[in-house]
Amino acid sequence: MGDNGHDSDTVTLTIDGLEVTVPKGTTILQAAEALGNRIPHYCYHPGLSAPAQCRLCLVEVEGAPKLAPSCVTDAQDGQVVHTESESAKGMRQGVLEFYLANHPLDCPICDQSGECKLQDYVFEEGRKHGRSREPKRVFGRDDFGGDVLFYGDRCVMCTRCVRFMDEMAQDPRLTVVERGNRSIIDTFFEEGVEGSPYSGNIVDICPVGALVSKDFLHKARAWDLDHTPSICPNCSQGCNIDLHTRDNLVQRLKPRPNLDVNEYWMCDYGRHRYEWMNRGDRIEVPLVRRDDGHEATDWPGVLEPLLESLREGKGPVRAVASPFVSNEALAALASLVEALGGGEIVFRSARADTEIPLPGFPKLTRRHDLVPNRRGAEILGMTRVGSDDGSSGLDELADHRGTLLVLGDELADLGPDFGARASLYLYLGSHPTPAATAADFVLPITTHAEEEGTFTNYEGRVQRFWPALQGPGAARPAWLPLSLLAARMEGTRSPSRVDEAFLRAGELAPEFRGLAYESIGTRGALVNEPAVLPEG
Amino acid sequence: MAYPYTHERETRVISRGFGEPEARTLDGWKALGGYQGLKKALEMGRAEVIDVVKASGLRGRGGAGFPTGVKWSFMPQEKQGPHYLLCNADESEPGTFKDRELMRWTPHQVIEGCLIAAYAIQAEHVYIYCRGEFFETNQVIARAVEEAYEAGLAGEDILGSGVTIDVTVHQGAGAYICGEETALMESVEGRRGLPRVKPPFPAAVGVFGKPSTINNVETLCAVPHIVVHGGEWYRQWGTDESPGTKLFCVSGHVRRKGNFELPMGFPLEDLLYDVCGGFEKGRKLKAVIPGGSSVPFMTAEDCKDCSLSYEGVVEKGSMLGCASVMVMDDRTNIVKQVRRTVDFFAHESCGQCTPCREGTTWLSRILLRIERGKGTEEDLDTLVDLGRQMTGTTICVLSDSAAAPVISSIEKFRDDYLALIRRGEAVGTA
Amino acid sequence: MSETRKPPERESIPFRNPGWAGNTGEFELSEREVRGDDYVGTRPADGGHPSRATSYPYMLEKKDPSAPLFSGSYRERYEKILTRYPDTRAALLPVLNLAQELRGHISQETMTEVGALLDLSDAYVRGVTTFYTMYNKRPVGRFLIQVCTNVSCNLCGADDVLEAFLEHTGTELGGTSTDGLFTVMEVECLAACGFPTAVQINSRYYESIEPGDVPALLKHLREQGAE
Repeated sequence: MGDNGHDSDTVTLTIDGLEVTVPKGTTILQAAEALGNRIPHYCYHPGLSAPAQCRLCLVEVEGAPKLAPSCVTDAQDGQVVHTESESAKGMRQGVLEFYLANHPLDCPICDQSGECKLQDYVFEEGRKHGRSREPKRVFGRDDFGGDVLFYGDRCVMCTRCVRFMDEMAQDPRLTVVERGNRSIIDTFFEEGVEGSPYSGNIVDICPVGALVSKDFLHKARAWDLDHTPSICPNCSQGCNIDLHTRDNLVQRLKPRPNLDVNEYWMCDYGRHRYEWMNRGDRIEVPLVRRDDGHEATDWPGVLEPLLESLREGKGPVRAVASPFVSNEALAALASLVEALGGGEIVFRSARADTEIPLPGFPKLTRRHDLVPNRRGAEILGMTRVGSDDGSSGLDELADHRGTLLVLGDELADLGPDFGARASLYLYLGSHPTPAATAADFVLPITTHAEEEGTFTNYEGRVQRFWPALQGPGAARPAWLPLSLLAARMEGTRSPSRVDEAFLRAGELAPEFRGLAYESIGTRGALVNEPAVLPEG
Repeated sequence: MAYPYTHERETRVISRGFGEPEARTLDGWKALGGYQGLKKALEMGRAEVIDVVKASGLRGRGGAGFPTGVKWSFMPQEKQGPHYLLCNADESEPGTFKDRELMRWTPHQVIEGCLIAAYAIQAEHVYIYCRGEFFETNQVIARAVEEAYEAGLAGEDILGSGVTIDVTVHQGAGAYICGEETALMESVEGRRGLPRVKPPFPAAVGVFGKPSTINNVETLCAVPHIVVHGGEWYRQWGTDESPGTKLFCVSGHVRRKGNFELPMGFPLEDLLYDVCGGFEKGRKLKAVIPGGSSVPFMTAEDCKDCSLSYEGVVEKGSMLGCASVMVMDDRTNIVKQVRRTVDFFAHESCGQCTPCREGTTWLSRILLRIERGKGTEEDLDTLVDLGRQMTGTTICVLSDSAAAPVISSIEKFRDDYLALIRRGEAVGTA
Repeated sequence: MSETRKPPERESIPFRNPGWAGNTGEFELSEREVRGDDYVGTRPADGGHPSRATSYPYMLEKKDPSAPLFSGSYRERYEKILTRYPDTRAALLPVLNLAQELRGHISQETMTEVGALLDLSDAYVRGVTTFYTMYNKRPVGRFLIQVCTNVSCNLCGADDVLEAFLEHTGTELGGTSTDGLFTVMEVECLAACGFPTAVQINSRYYESIEPGDVPALLKHLREQGAE
């Protein structure tokens, strides 16, 4: 024990025959995780306190009289731990049998099925046949308000939800009522969790199908869903999320852990605003203006005449960007504007009066800015205009007589005569809008759910997202045509990949310099803090 | 003696005020030598008080039998912030009825013990966690605390020593589990009485997150006498490992039920046949539960030559617990009583740990089925197996306690079960 | 001490059992002496010394479900309770006790009011209230009869005593009699195992009860209830 004989901040222990060195204060469960050994558990959650009550994570520690709860037992130097010994496995099998004694086994109609920890653990190590012949306890179903439904019979009483509401939301509306075998999770009678802005997380952390989302109820089976890492586009916090998709539709958003941004959580405001990603009314092909309206064409059919127009020079350039598009697209737009001789780029962005922090982790806040990339647009020198609901501010532009570029803004508050006076009006967007009626060229672009790219959040953290959906028809990521146009104007090489397109942002704005996709990774990286990377 | 059940073989140290209404009052208690212990303790100094209690070998009377002086010495010597003493008066182990008697007959004895202990561990506040159902007892102890305050024995500057110790009577609200030390702390803090994971131990992080010590009423009652007379004096009774006297709560099928204060190591058979007067005519001993519902059964055979000490009872395959001797004669329907015991644990399980929450109810349902003649022999294997799965796998020992009578009764009274399973006939009616 | 004490005058008692082990023939104390009524005296409505204000000795026989939380002497007691704990959460049990003493049970409204007093969430108060069995979640009869049926009493016939109470009050287990007088429940061990069967009626223990004692005991209670 402690052979190394010097004071150190680490301890070395052996788990299932493998040695691992971890910082002091690490629990056995976390140390095992470092070895890739996930000890079964319900009540332990890395973002919450650990009551050690589910009794599933018990492991054998040599020399200890009883099995130890690995979630609260600190790793000690020289400790020898067995997670797969006869006694540990036998105990887990016993505990799992107790879990099933009153469980309804209604997997066929349970939304959690396929991602259920009870299913997984019992499948891995449970008894083949249950021994209970006794009638089961029945609690039934309860509406917890908000988006949350509670199936009491499926509950494993891990109390993660109670602790989340208590410790993180600090809105203790959930409690265990009664005691012993009659105990059940409940709210204050009919009060529910309605209006508690982070309550959706209790569905995520429920290891079984006891707490389910009404929005997702019976919508899809877990095993049919594809999970794609993404960034929540609904405010400037930039919560890391997974888009869960099926049949090319987003079915739900789930938080993806990132301790620097959102820990394990996301707010309900963001969680429930995904339907727009599934909109079917899309600009599917490039459009070129003819006398009697727009004519569909293909990319070569639009780019050549567009380039021609741009080269002709149609007067001073003004552009409208959107804080919903990626850094790459914004940088490409800025490049194009530069290539055309420069001009002001503005954007509009909705802003809420209040912020909604998560009290237990206040760094996670539903921010004032209800858009994902305001910071990116500002770093690239764009100016916010308009009111806090994301409208107006474009009166002057509406009558602009030179070159008018619009990227991503749907211009919902503007009519068909927007840009009618412009000598050249280029509109890049995802959804048809009356305000594009006067556009000379309309380019179909993908949404962030359909492309790869980055957003810069409120604090300047550049974070990547990945394509989860297939864009419609000929829609392309906006950076692609914009960079192509800019490059052709300047006679340079156009980036062909998104990571190259990102490097363009670094050329335009020093804040992005030194950042690259490799260094941003899945966790994001702060602007002005470039990682040291080989040149080029 | 006015107490209804006394016996000449008793050694009445802490029970000598039983049946004496005067002993309740401050004057009456002082007439019996009361508060001399407190006075002496304040003169001795903290370290010496702990040494005397250590020397006496006094072990915790709440069931676990941990040496009291050693427990006190775990408290931090350098005080940083408040310390607390908790007096565990949440007596609710089935078969135990000693603390209620101690509190209602000799409340000042309890308070004096609390004050000495609080002084020794540098606690400035004592919470006497009195069981909720004890309305009457509560009034008595609360009145006595008030008297102690009025006489300058509690509160600020006790007996001119400069020591301040507050005492508060805290009434529970009906939960057996709050007799578990960490659950009691949760309950004092105004929470659901859920036992805490140890470590940290109460001496480091106790009630309100501060260093705390918790002692049973009976333990604290012995303290003033030990302080007055010394550790060696206390060791004149009992065995080396289990010194002193102990209240034995005898209930069930004996002629004279009641509390008897006897030296540790007293022969169990003498207790049953001599002190308690044996059984009704024509009846004979079938089983004994020596330490309250939580401990394994003993058969009549096990009772032979059994010494009532912590170690003596362990030798016979059970535990002394809080010395609550539940006696069953040959009328007893063991299956029914085991089922009733398990029902109790199922009712009182706090519900945190899965093996206990689910296991106690499951056991009770199988037992009820057997009791009604619908059991199978496989059920017995299942019961024993479930009992093993419930042992040593939970935060507190309530789960183990529920399993112990089941496992031990199937082992020792299998025929009773088989009679019900095979023939549908219960052995015994009570 | 017993030698110097005058033999007590026997109070007239309505039934055989004086409340504690009196049927042994060896015991010469009156009920008041056994229970310590003289010693305790009349408890001041404001709770007396703060150290004892946290305990509650009575379940009021006349309950007022709409009594304010708290006013008058009860307010004083409430404030004394708060002085005995380092935070308001810890006062929850004593304050719930006080509310139940006044109102007879802890209703949804009572939980909300107590939560507001102590700055605790409603759900939290509900969680705690339901954990403890002594909080009546709904109104009970004027006399709450709790019969211990745990092992020590059970061995000595507690099931029959319970049966007798149910029969003579005409109630079902946990139900309240039509005249609103009695609610009969089972209770876990009352820590009076030496005196089976132990029965708690409101705040008072009745020990060594046998099925035959039940009618006289109920008659006595009915007379009290008619007052």
